Amino acid sequence: MKRLFTLLIVLGLAFSVSAVWAQDTLVYGTTDKVTDMDTASAYDFHTWEIFQNVSSGLLAYTPGTTTLVPALATGYTVNAAGDEYTFTLRKGVKFSNGDAFNASVVKWNIDRVAKLNGDPAALVTQYVKEVDVVDDYTVKFVLNGPVSYLPALVATPTYFPMDPAVYPVDKIVKDVGELTGGEIAALGPYRLTSFKRDEEAVFDANPNYWGKEPGIKKIVIRYFADATTMRLALEKGEVDLTFKSMNPSDIADLSKSGKYNVVKVPGPQIRYICFETSESVFKDKRLRQAASMLINRPEINQKVYLGQNAPLYSMIPIGMSYHTDDFKALGDGNVAAAEKILKSLGYSASKPFSFDLWYTPSHYGDTEVNMAEVVKAEMEKSPLVKVNIKSAEWATYKQNWNNKQMPAFFLGWYPDYIDPDDYTSPFAQTEGSKGMGIYFTSKAWDDLFVQEQQTTKDAVRNSTFGKIQKMWTDEVPTVPIYQGNLYVFSRKNVTGVKIGPTLIFNYDQLKFTK
Amino acid sequence: MRHLASYILTRLLLAIPMIFILLTIIFVVLRVMPGDPVSAMLGDRAPLRVINEKKHALGLDKPITAQYVDYLGQLARGDLGNSMIFQQTVSSAIGDKLPATIELTLFGLLASLGIGIPLGAAAARRRRSGRDFGIRLYANVVYCIPVFWMGLLLQLLFGVVLGWFPISGRTSPRVTSSAFSWSGFYTIDTLRIGNVAAFGDVMWHLVLPALTLGIVLSGIFVRLTRANMLDVLKTDYILAARARGIPERRVVFNHGLRNALIPIVTMLGLQFSLLLAGAILTESTFSWPGMGRLLLERIYLRDYPTIQGVIVVYTLLVSVMSLVVDLLYAAIDPRVKY
Amino acid sequence: MGVPAARFSPAGGLANALGWFTRTRRKYGMEWWIMIAGMIVILFVVTMTVFPGLFTRFDPNDQNAGGQMKPPSSEHLMGTDNLSRDVWARVVYGARTILGVAIAAALVSALIGIPLGLLSGFAGGTFDRILSLIMDSVYSFPGLILAIAFAAMLGPGVINITLAVAVVYIPTYFRLVRGQTLSIKEEVYVEAARAIGARRPTILSRYVFPNVIATVVVIFSLNIADAIMTEAALSYIGLGLPAGIPDWGMDLSMGKKFLPSGMWWMITFPGLMIMLLALGFTMLGEGLAEVLNPRLLEK
Repeated sequence: MKRLFTLLIVLGLAFSVSAVWAQDTLVYGTTDKVTDMDTASAYDFHTWEIFQNVSSGLLAYTPGTTTLVPALATGYTVNAAGDEYTFTLRKGVKFSNGDAFNASVVKWNIDRVAKLNGDPAALVTQYVKEVDVVDDYTVKFVLNGPVSYLPALVATPTYFPMDPAVYPVDKIVKDVGELTGGEIAALGPYRLTSFKRDEEAVFDANPNYWGKEPGIKKIVIRYFADATTMRLALEKGEVDLTFKSMNPSDIADLSKSGKYNVVKVPGPQIRYICFETSESVFKDKRLRQAASMLINRPEINQKVYLGQNAPLYSMIPIGMSYHTDDFKALGDGNVAAAEKILKSLGYSASKPFSFDLWYTPSHYGDTEVNMAEVVKAEMEKSPLVKVNIKSAEWATYKQNWNNKQMPAFFLGWYPDYIDPDDYTSPFAQTEGSKGMGIYFTSKAWDDLFVQEQQTTKDAVRNSTFGKIQKMWTDEVPTVPIYQGNLYVFSRKNVTGVKIGPTLIFNYDQLKFTK
Repeated sequence: MRHLASYILTRLLLAIPMIFILLTIIFVVLRVMPGDPVSAMLGDRAPLRVINEKKHALGLDKPITAQYVDYLGQLARGDLGNSMIFQQTVSSAIGDKLPATIELTLFGLLASLGIGIPLGAAAARRRRSGRDFGIRLYANVVYCIPVFWMGLLLQLLFGVVLGWFPISGRTSPRVTSSAFSWSGFYTIDTLRIGNVAAFGDVMWHLVLPALTLGIVLSGIFVRLTRANMLDVLKTDYILAARARGIPERRVVFNHGLRNALIPIVTMLGLQFSLLLAGAILTESTFSWPGMGRLLLERIYLRDYPTIQGVIVVYTLLVSVMSLVVDLLYAAIDPRVKY
Repeated sequence: MGVPAARFSPAGGLANALGWFTRTRRKYGMEWWIMIAGMIVILFVVTMTVFPGLFTRFDPNDQNAGGQMKPPSSEHLMGTDNLSRDVWARVVYGARTILGVAIAAALVSALIGIPLGLLSGFAGGTFDRILSLIMDSVYSFPGLILAIAFAAMLGPGVINITLAVAVVYIPTYFRLVRGQTLSIKEEVYVEAARAIGARRPTILSRYVFPNVIATVVVIFSLNIADAIMTEAALSYIGLGLPAGIPDWGMDLSMGKKFLPSGMWWMITFPGLMIMLLALGFTMLGEGLAEVLNPRLLEK
């Protein structure tokens, strides 16, 4: 027994030493999950990240910035009306399996996304009427109306061209094994050579990439079930880098320790509470105002996130154009003002305003329950309010908001495209609002949204968004809580982590230093 | 031989009612669950018509009894069906993860036996001594420690502070399992191709998870061994052995322990269930890609066929294990005949 | 008929109980002390349940009880957690949650399993065979998995979790009671009762049931210990009680996140309490078993 044990330890130590030798591989730990390996359906952060590394768009962001530069397209022109964009494609680009990339591939993909109508399809169908193949290397996007931010849209994975020979045109692919050839034909710096759901994903440099070769030839993503284990794995050296999502206490420790490179990514990812505005107890906008007055953002930030995030006073994130802190007017933990409203509506300590507040326990990480508890305590600082916390897993959660079963619920948002429109219209423009379970509708608002979507004039957009944000504090379809920072921890010899406001993580920028 | 074969067959056939019963319970439970898998699958923007089409395609709009009968028919043909959420058969989803769980559970069983039996024997030898009391206390305390807490403590102590063992996964990230993966039982697979380094890596990753399970469940074996040993040590043949002048050590271990083990073997089947349950928690703590995680994930996604399939497989596992145990029992105890 | 009056007076009853205590203590030594130790722990926790105010002045949900994540001090015996709540207060108030769920689950299991066991053992025949088959199947299946499936189906909620946990233990009572019923059924005095024309319910309640009680009590105690562990496991997976109710299991999983940061008190104290309470019931059960029927648990 003892001998076996010693043998195990010796083997283990020998192995750990040998593991350090292979330094052309980066191990990246995450607690995120992959949803569907299909751009027509994936609408989550991590799966998009994978596509951003194995594929390319017509335009792309310079890593770490919000500047769009040519990628698969070498340039584009816009017609006078602003509703037709013609892209000139790069010549000689091939998929990793050798298939050619050209204009018909672009058209095939847009048509497919629209037809399959998955989660992100609105990013296409809301704006694009049709795509015309002008010639092999010229493609024209005909839009429903002028859209000032189409270039930003085109840089989202939903618009990425996938290989028609590999992806089925009529159904959504969940797993890599379903693809013809068993692999995503890559247009980007890496190929996904192996994928075991919830275990690991292995990326190798794509030999057919049209751009510059990546600094690290092989990247292995290890999927963790548990953030605590991931932290320990980083400390042990089992992983070289972690991104999404560490516990706040781990973030604090790892940052302080000085043993790791810490990249704080102040991205436009926001958290907020949505109200069902058509039939629930929150029909009356004054109650929505009262509820938002009771929220104390700095307290939430300190208690739940140990001060690692930023309180947010507008649905448009800090740092994005046209952001104004209008919600500051409603105050943080403003019990007096809230009670004034509640009393005027007939509520009292013996007849309190009671409602269900919902959260989802794992989709946004496991700090959700703490946030719900803190908000409940903040609201109940006034004896005129009574909050019942309820929870549902993501599948049920989505169903609930479609069925108007949640009067108030927590939600989060990562940018689809970098534009203030992406943070406002999905919640308050009539069509989008329905889809988000808010059911807010107002002609005045819709008109404003159309106005800002169609113009490219900065001054006009500035004043329109100014109006929208102000009106938000009056109608309160949602109340913003905080804007999150994301943290990347890596060992000292890993550099090149360049994540900008787009929150795009380009693996090809990573390098080992010696 | 003929008797043995028919015995095995009968036992396996008896597993069927068990599967049937558990399946029925789970089947009903699942259909009553809130949360619509189809709209979760298709996304919340899918129009009602598309959702209904999908429901029809999956047979979810039929009455429960009809769905039940369909599924039973499918099972009878040995077909576990297709995952409702992913484009894979349930068998392949399970087949991927099953070996990991079995490997973990078996090594956990070995660990708990390896810890429990010697301790139980030691306690029995010195009945009512401080040692006995201490060991019995250990046995009781250890079972009351939540498995995941034990896992975390082991991770911290042996994984991080001492740095002796890895704390997650079945292999080191730089070891590509596809290089040797054949049956899914990495211990066998690595030996099969003679890759000793990989074998070492796999075993090294098994230590902490197996110990987690093993320590928590060792308490049962301590008690069992002790109780059985006490009985055996009182018997006449032990007395006779002592009278013949055989050294105490041989008396206890050769004569005493061997006979005490027989009842333990019969308990192995039941303890296997406990191990399977504990494995779910262990898998979560150590990010072990096994059936426990599969089950939890699919419950979350409302993937009925896979959940049902997992239950069927667990039931089969338990049945097979108890059959193996019975055969072992027959092998050890010469009084049992078929 | 001819029953001594003393048996029906409280004083007499107390005298009997005390006498039993001292007799068993002398007879069983170590086991007796184990049983007593278990009882003390349980009594301690029960007092916490009934009179929480005696133990702490803090409200378990008060998020301003003290600083955030402060280690144990004279003000906060077990420190404060990440939402600045007093950990000791959460332990004290959490006692009623976990005890409530565990005892309720055990009661539900017993109330379903025992009558079924009695009936099945007594009636025999096909009914017995089918019921036994069902119960055996559920019994040999890993209990936690069943609890997970039920908890996932029913959703969060105190009653739902209680039911999910209860389902797992029904077969335990069933098998035990059925076994006892089967053996008692063959006893002479039961035959005699039948000979003088006693009806089935009478036989069940007057002759079979009282003999079964002793075993049931032991199993009940062990059942509660197990239910406590199952509830903690469900909380860990995220299928536990809803937020807002102080719960050791929930605090245990929450506290787990802070252990690597050195904030050991958030997980250690709820963990120790779970262990202690489960241990208490285990020791009570085992002690009782040794005292009432020494060979009962050696299976």
